[in-house]
Amino acid sequence: MASYLAKRLLLIVPTLLGVASLVFVIMRVIPGDVALLILGGDQGSHIDPQQLAAVRQQLGLDQPLIVQFGVWMWGLLHFDLGTSLWTGRPVVEELLIRLPLSLELAVLATMISVLISIPLGMLAAVRQDTWVDYVVRVVSIGGLAVPSFWVGILVILFLVLFFGWGPPLLFTPPWEDPWANLQQMIWPVVTVGYRYAAVTTRMTRSTLLEVLREDYIRTAWAKGLAQKAIVIRHALKNAMLPVITLIGTEFAFLIGGLVVTETVFTLNGVGRFVVDAVAHRDYPVVQALVFLIAFGFVLVNLLVDLTYAWFDPRIRYQER
Amino acid sequence: MSVYPLEHATASATLRRRLTAVEEVGKFIHAKPLGAAGAAVILAMLIVAFLARALAPYDPYTGDYELQFARPSLDHWLGTDEFGRDVLSRIMYGARIALFVGFTASVAGCSLGALLGVLSAYWGGRVDLLLERVMDILLSFPQLILALAIASILGPAVQNVVIAIAIPIVPRVARVVRAAAMSVKENVYVEAVRALGASRPRVVLQHIVPNVFAPYLIMLTAQLGSAILAEASLSYLGLGTAEPTPSWGLMLSGSAASYAEKAPWIAIFPGIAISLGVFGFNLFGDSLRDALDPKLRRG
Amino acid sequence: MAMAFPRPRFHRIGILLVLLVVSTTVTPLEGGAAETPRRGGILLAVIGAEPPSLDPHQESTFANIQLVAPLYSTLLQFDPYAFPKIIGDVALDWKIAPDGKTYTFKIRSGIRFHDGSPLTAADVKASYDKIVFPPQGTRSTRKAAFSSVERIDAPDPVTVVFHLKFASASLLPNLASPWNVIFPKKYLDKDPNHFKMNVVGSGPFKFKTYTRGGMFEGERNPDYFVKDRPYLDGYRFFISTETSVRAAAIRSGRAYIEFRNLPAPEVEAIKKQLGDKIAVQETPVTAHWGISVNNTVKPFNDVRVRKALTMAIDRYTASRVLYPLTGLKHIGGLIRPGSADWALPQAELEKLPGFWRDAEKSRMEARRLLAEAGYPNGMKVVLKNRNIRLPYQDWAVFVIQEWRKIGVEAEHRPLETAAWFADGQNTGNFELIISPPVEYMDDPDVWLGRYTTGSTQNWGRFSDPRLDDLFSRQARTLDPAERKKLTDELQRIALENAYYMPGLWWTRNLVHWAKVKNYVAPPNYYSNQKLQDVWLAED
Repeated sequence: MASYLAKRLLLIVPTLLGVASLVFVIMRVIPGDVALLILGGDQGSHIDPQQLAAVRQQLGLDQPLIVQFGVWMWGLLHFDLGTSLWTGRPVVEELLIRLPLSLELAVLATMISVLISIPLGMLAAVRQDTWVDYVVRVVSIGGLAVPSFWVGILVILFLVLFFGWGPPLLFTPPWEDPWANLQQMIWPVVTVGYRYAAVTTRMTRSTLLEVLREDYIRTAWAKGLAQKAIVIRHALKNAMLPVITLIGTEFAFLIGGLVVTETVFTLNGVGRFVVDAVAHRDYPVVQALVFLIAFGFVLVNLLVDLTYAWFDPRIRYQER
Repeated sequence: MSVYPLEHATASATLRRRLTAVEEVGKFIHAKPLGAAGAAVILAMLIVAFLARALAPYDPYTGDYELQFARPSLDHWLGTDEFGRDVLSRIMYGARIALFVGFTASVAGCSLGALLGVLSAYWGGRVDLLLERVMDILLSFPQLILALAIASILGPAVQNVVIAIAIPIVPRVARVVRAAAMSVKENVYVEAVRALGASRPRVVLQHIVPNVFAPYLIMLTAQLGSAILAEASLSYLGLGTAEPTPSWGLMLSGSAASYAEKAPWIAIFPGIAISLGVFGFNLFGDSLRDALDPKLRRG
Repeated sequence: MAMAFPRPRFHRIGILLVLLVVSTTVTPLEGGAAETPRRGGILLAVIGAEPPSLDPHQESTFANIQLVAPLYSTLLQFDPYAFPKIIGDVALDWKIAPDGKTYTFKIRSGIRFHDGSPLTAADVKASYDKIVFPPQGTRSTRKAAFSSVERIDAPDPVTVVFHLKFASASLLPNLASPWNVIFPKKYLDKDPNHFKMNVVGSGPFKFKTYTRGGMFEGERNPDYFVKDRPYLDGYRFFISTETSVRAAAIRSGRAYIEFRNLPAPEVEAIKKQLGDKIAVQETPVTAHWGISVNNTVKPFNDVRVRKALTMAIDRYTASRVLYPLTGLKHIGGLIRPGSADWALPQAELEKLPGFWRDAEKSRMEARRLLAEAGYPNGMKVVLKNRNIRLPYQDWAVFVIQEWRKIGVEAEHRPLETAAWFADGQNTGNFELIISPPVEYMDDPDVWLGRYTTGSTQNWGRFSDPRLDDLFSRQARTLDPAERKKLTDELQRIALENAYYMPGLWWTRNLVHWAKVKNYVAPPNYYSNQKLQDVWLAED
């Protein structure tokens, strides 16, 4: 197990280095830079070539790419994520403004979806090809089919039109004012939670179906009604691993990937932050966030793989 | 005298054949009603897309300035948009864009992914190690940022949107196909075939490819729907197809918010088209997976 | 002591050497006069963007000035009730020498910065030195507007003197610019960039908090130099980039005002739901949405092609179609129609390419010109744009449709703002690009400079010595009638050669709850943001 762990940890290094290089290159290839935006104002009419050169120099954008990359890497090694080119503040400081909201949203949405999806997925699997199964599938596939920005906009419109109510515009942490917090978070949590429940329901259903097809389960099932509860519990245990994997990776995604939801519900979260940073060509912010998101993803994957390896010793030897 | 019975005979024969076809379809609908519904939606989309020129009542690009925000009527079944363009015609032409983006992005992404997955599994060793790392990198890179970056580097043309959507698909498919190919490769019979002296390409073609085809197809149908959605989301963020292209995502992104009350038909119908299209593909894909995956087949 | 100010004929005034005494107490608006202002309350506003820094000298986005304007004072200002009338802010009065080359300002005494230190002439000089002669490592967005300034003196604590190299027709409005705020000298001495992240002003409000991406907040300055102002206890700006979200925020009462613009259909819906509780001020805006033509690439260096493209656009229909969608409304030349002094007369405009009343005749002429230029079967062009829906993309949709009528197929390429700046302004990597000039006033200096050779605003990269000459002459001409002749001529030449294709002049909807009193929307979204006279009828 120890050597397996060591190998897996070693493989993380090239992946993260690759992500770092990729995001670095991509950001430099995208046309336009932050200096243009800083000088451009609303319409870009005041950009003066001399000032442009000065701003670029001031921000270190005129240095050779390899130097810029080196500086960034050196900072990362010292746990220094750099400074935002747009606001001039440390990236960590900017991130900490947005992180609590994103974490809360991710945790609540995950909770909701787990509560909904696991029972529903089980039900659908046990009743495969009956109307119960159909309803569950239609509802869950529906959750994946509707564009989230469309739903978000319609939800907001509906609330304001019929109740004259809109969500608060500023994030209040739950420990400061739970009621204000709830008002702001409820709708995004519900829309994200539903969508995410849809994914998990499908996964639960299909993995449970797989397990239910295993011979020993079928035999046990055939033995009679009394055993069914035990069977389901047993089958569920075996079926949960892929579902947990999915929940883990989705959770990692939720923290940085809810751009559209955050936009529609005026949430000052991490997803919106990354996308704004891309639009601002704020290299250090995009680089740091992409790196952190990738790091989170890799970490979750590692944990999942380790869990698998723990359960199934064969994996340890199979993997190179 | 001989003419009539003969004719009668052929007629009844066709009739019977038709009946069987209908029965076939009926059987399928009965067995997989959701899959059949999905297939019907896809078929309808395909027909509309191919025959858009013939079916669409108006030019989707030309607006009638006297008819801005016209309500749905006999002339304009789904009303007109802010420029007086016929919403129905734009949705019909939009089916083309949706299907084009959906198919090309998912076929390109899945095929490249499958190819890399098979190669990775087959060659093993260093090639596998390298490819796996590349896939890991792509996989852990935030999908939206990747699409966003590609779209803004290449510009907002339809073919660039396809690339932006296809690339994030590659590693996901590669991983699944590689796993499937690995298990085939380790099967005793493939090893036996190789021991008998079969050439590498032959082994890949004859034994591995057919066995990874099912997961490939499952991934493909799963990606079709999400590719259509991805196009809509990119449009919403201002990085998808550009006006005046009649794309569903674009129709929605521009008007959903501002016109939802003044002219709900502008905001509602393209949204329904997207949802229905994606729903159809996912429904079909799900049933296909149930049918193709031996582990999910009803015992 | 208070003396009514005439219409802003500042140039004439300059020549006459008039001592101007500016009213210290602001005359309340007719409507507002009837009601007694109520004290207290927090003004809640929504804003669509976030600024790179808090220093207005270095920025030119509304996202900066709307947030920080209430925190600062300026030397002069546009009258909050009567744009573009110029009145003093920290300046009590001023004198202009007969040759128009020396401006002497008397500074109000007793003004204190928020840190308690007094505001003196030295602070005004230091602030303007930073703008006109920016030190190393800092930038000044409006440096070019003060190219006439030779030096600034502060002979005593209450006197500031501007010495000019040549008489400038636009100095006073430039000094009234909302952007040129007064910073305390002692901080500038230590770090000229201090105010990018810090605020020490002397305005009606003091800085309170700023959560990036979330909210900006100011609170009442009890020591403000105008007695009994401000009325409000404070103000808050919530930041949301999504237009529909801002509209919904107004609608649900989470915010009371959007200082920039909301699209007409949203406004209609809000009005329908809230009725009298909502007030809408529709104002013209010193902005128009036109198209830059890259004069350095073929075939757009051919005047016939440029003329054909502009003549194909039926601006009268455009106004009818686009006004309800985008607010693009007024048909005019290169200076805002309705700006009292400088716009090209309508009759004259209608003779110029692109402004003919008979659209069909104009299109025929366009086709003829294209054929003559070697494109009898039309041509393909690429129209770049910014990926902002209103009014950029709607304008493009209309233009593309018009061009199709003369056989010109345009591929529409919306770009992110950074790429749009890069291609349009910086590298010139485009054929045709939507590029709107947006300013905070009507003076020809800010409107016509962009048509001169080498101007950073000249995206089309054309060069016509006649335009350069006319521009520099009008800038030094103090007699308005004389100056008008020169600016008209400049506009005629620019339009006749279709160096740039003017679009439609914009109008905006400033939407607020009716309980927000005493705010008069100017024809731009930069000035009148101090909020000192604004009050809330209820919370």
